[in-house]
Amino acid sequence: MSAPATTAKDAAGAVDLAARGRKLGLLMTLPAQLLLVFIFAFPALMQIYISLTWWTPGDGTIWIYAYESFVWFDNYVELITSERLWEPIGRTMLILIVVVPVEFVIGFGLAVLFVDSFPGKRVFYSILLTPMMVVPAVAGYMFFMLFQSNGPINQILSLLTGTDVELVWLGDTTLAMIAVMIADIWQWTPLMFLILLAGILGVPEDQLKAATLLGANWGQKFWRIVLPRMRTVIIIAIVIRAVEAFKLFDVMYVMTKGGPGVATETISIYIYKLFKQLEWSYLAAVDLSILIALSVIAVIGMTLMAKAKQKRAGDVVD
Amino acid sequence: MSSIELVNLTKRFGDLVAVNELNLEIKDKEFVALLGPSGCGKTTTMNLIAGIENPDGGEVRFDGKNVGSVPLRKRGVGFVFQNYAIFTHMTTYKNLSFALEVRGLPRDEIDRRVHEIAKLLDLEDRLPVPAARLGVNEMQRLGIGRSAIANPQIFLLDEPLSNLDAAFRAVMRTELKHLQHQLGQTMVYVTHDQLEAMTMADRIAVMDMGVLQQYGTPLEVYNRPRNLFVARFMGSPSMNLLYCRLTESDGGRALDFDESGRVELHDEALLKQCASARNADLYFGMRPEDVELSPVTGDRGGLAMTVTFVEHIGARTIVHLRSAGHEVKAIERNDFDVDIGAPMEVSPKPGAGWLFDAATEIALGAG
Repeated sequence: MSAPATTAKDAAGAVDLAARGRKLGLLMTLPAQLLLVFIFAFPALMQIYISLTWWTPGDGTIWIYAYESFVWFDNYVELITSERLWEPIGRTMLILIVVVPVEFVIGFGLAVLFVDSFPGKRVFYSILLTPMMVVPAVAGYMFFMLFQSNGPINQILSLLTGTDVELVWLGDTTLAMIAVMIADIWQWTPLMFLILLAGILGVPEDQLKAATLLGANWGQKFWRIVLPRMRTVIIIAIVIRAVEAFKLFDVMYVMTKGGPGVATETISIYIYKLFKQLEWSYLAAVDLSILIALSVIAVIGMTLMAKAKQKRAGDVVD
Repeated sequence: MSSIELVNLTKRFGDLVAVNELNLEIKDKEFVALLGPSGCGKTTTMNLIAGIENPDGGEVRFDGKNVGSVPLRKRGVGFVFQNYAIFTHMTTYKNLSFALEVRGLPRDEIDRRVHEIAKLLDLEDRLPVPAARLGVNEMQRLGIGRSAIANPQIFLLDEPLSNLDAAFRAVMRTELKHLQHQLGQTMVYVTHDQLEAMTMADRIAVMDMGVLQQYGTPLEVYNRPRNLFVARFMGSPSMNLLYCRLTESDGGRALDFDESGRVELHDEALLKQCASARNADLYFGMRPEDVELSPVTGDRGGLAMTVTFVEHIGARTIVHLRSAGHEVKAIERNDFDVDIGAPMEVSPKPGAGWLFDAATEIALGAG
């Protein structure tokens, strides 16, 4: 661009160039955009379409002809009024509410222990992280074996109590739930531990030293320096685990298949069963509703967090 | 208030002896600077006093009492970190109130003292601001205030001025000294900047390789360096040190500078130093400002040298001179006029020459 004066012709050329640039850009990103259409837009539209019908693959027609059984919002009305959906949601929430705090507390406790060095730290570190690496289906099978009536858990309990313990773990509605929770806690506490340890190690050592020199004891340092500085990491860890717990499927499916009866049927297992029963249009409606509900919750959550952050920044004395 | 005594203090990191058999006595309300190049053990010494590190040998005593078993947070030591270690997730107010809050003081007293110290440090209107938003100069004052608010008997500062810009550093040098008088605390100050040490400290402890080289008032350390290290380290440009041999003849004593010449000793101070020489190999030292330059006449008994470079630094002019095997810098008035290549006769001002044993590196007569 050597000429400072811009003539009309130059301007036209520039516009032309910009338009060509846009066209080129579109061409370059076209494969990615097409891919996006096929993995997101197309399935989403298809799902909405099917969810408004009573179509099932059992009809013998392909999905395009689903309009033949078009029923508007019948599926949505059914999922709101039917208890069949609310029960698995309730169970999923129960698991989430129990499992996430337990994992958080244990994970945090372990993370605090791992700040200072001790003999064998690296070995214990590896051991602690192993459960996370185990394929969930394998973990499920492992716990399935452990919780058998004549399995190791009952044997250990017998030894400890001195009486013959013959709990039917996976056959009892309450015990099955507990067993599943234990499996999840075993497998996912390490992730919580890992994230929180990173958070603790991210607290500047100087500040802790300074706090000690200013007379703070262990607890004061924890509440006033470590915890506030870890706020973001803690939120991230809990959100990740909560989302994962909501989707809980594999361990549980291998251990109980949602049983006994529907005692441990989570939302994922319920959806899987609908799929197997070929109730695909209803399934589409359920799926879409959950997606929308979670999105709304996520947006509300993020707005609240942003507001809280704004409030903190504006606080005169926190 | 508190005095500090270090007795045979030793700290090792693996094979490295960071602090070696250090003995130092700091009086109550004294301002002592630990001065030395990086890695000399000054910060380790400070950490040992504070209790951040534990000694491998020797004792730290406050008011004559060994504090080896007193945990870090009970030592009552104020500590200002090099990077200030401000609690950036809190407001300025909360930073200042921290030490009082963890002691469980009543809220109104905390409030009163926070405002008191904020006023002293000119931080009053910054109290509600998150500490992360303070400028570096304000953080520095906050770092001091946060420790000072608990009235520690002993105040330790680890290179607190090294992050500041040059202009503000000069201001803070005076401020700190002033503050120390106001707070009436014993202060130990770690620095590698001799100017900071000279201007602020009551006494300077010069350290190198974990060993105390000299301990004395700034003027003692500057005027009467105990060994070659201190002589080289203090002053800018540093002391001229010329290798020479002490010779004796019927006419008296003389220093033989090889090809640069031979100087008969008449100066009383130098003769006195020579009396304790156990070795003929010496270093002759003179401060650049104590060097006298004169046209070559041959009768003044100085060294014959040639001007190699003239450096104008504003208020003064530094003249670089050289002869076979020797180099000298001389500080002259800024209107000193001399050509490069001009021959000059170099001699110390009366009473301003120092002799060091070349083998032991210790000043003659320093004991």
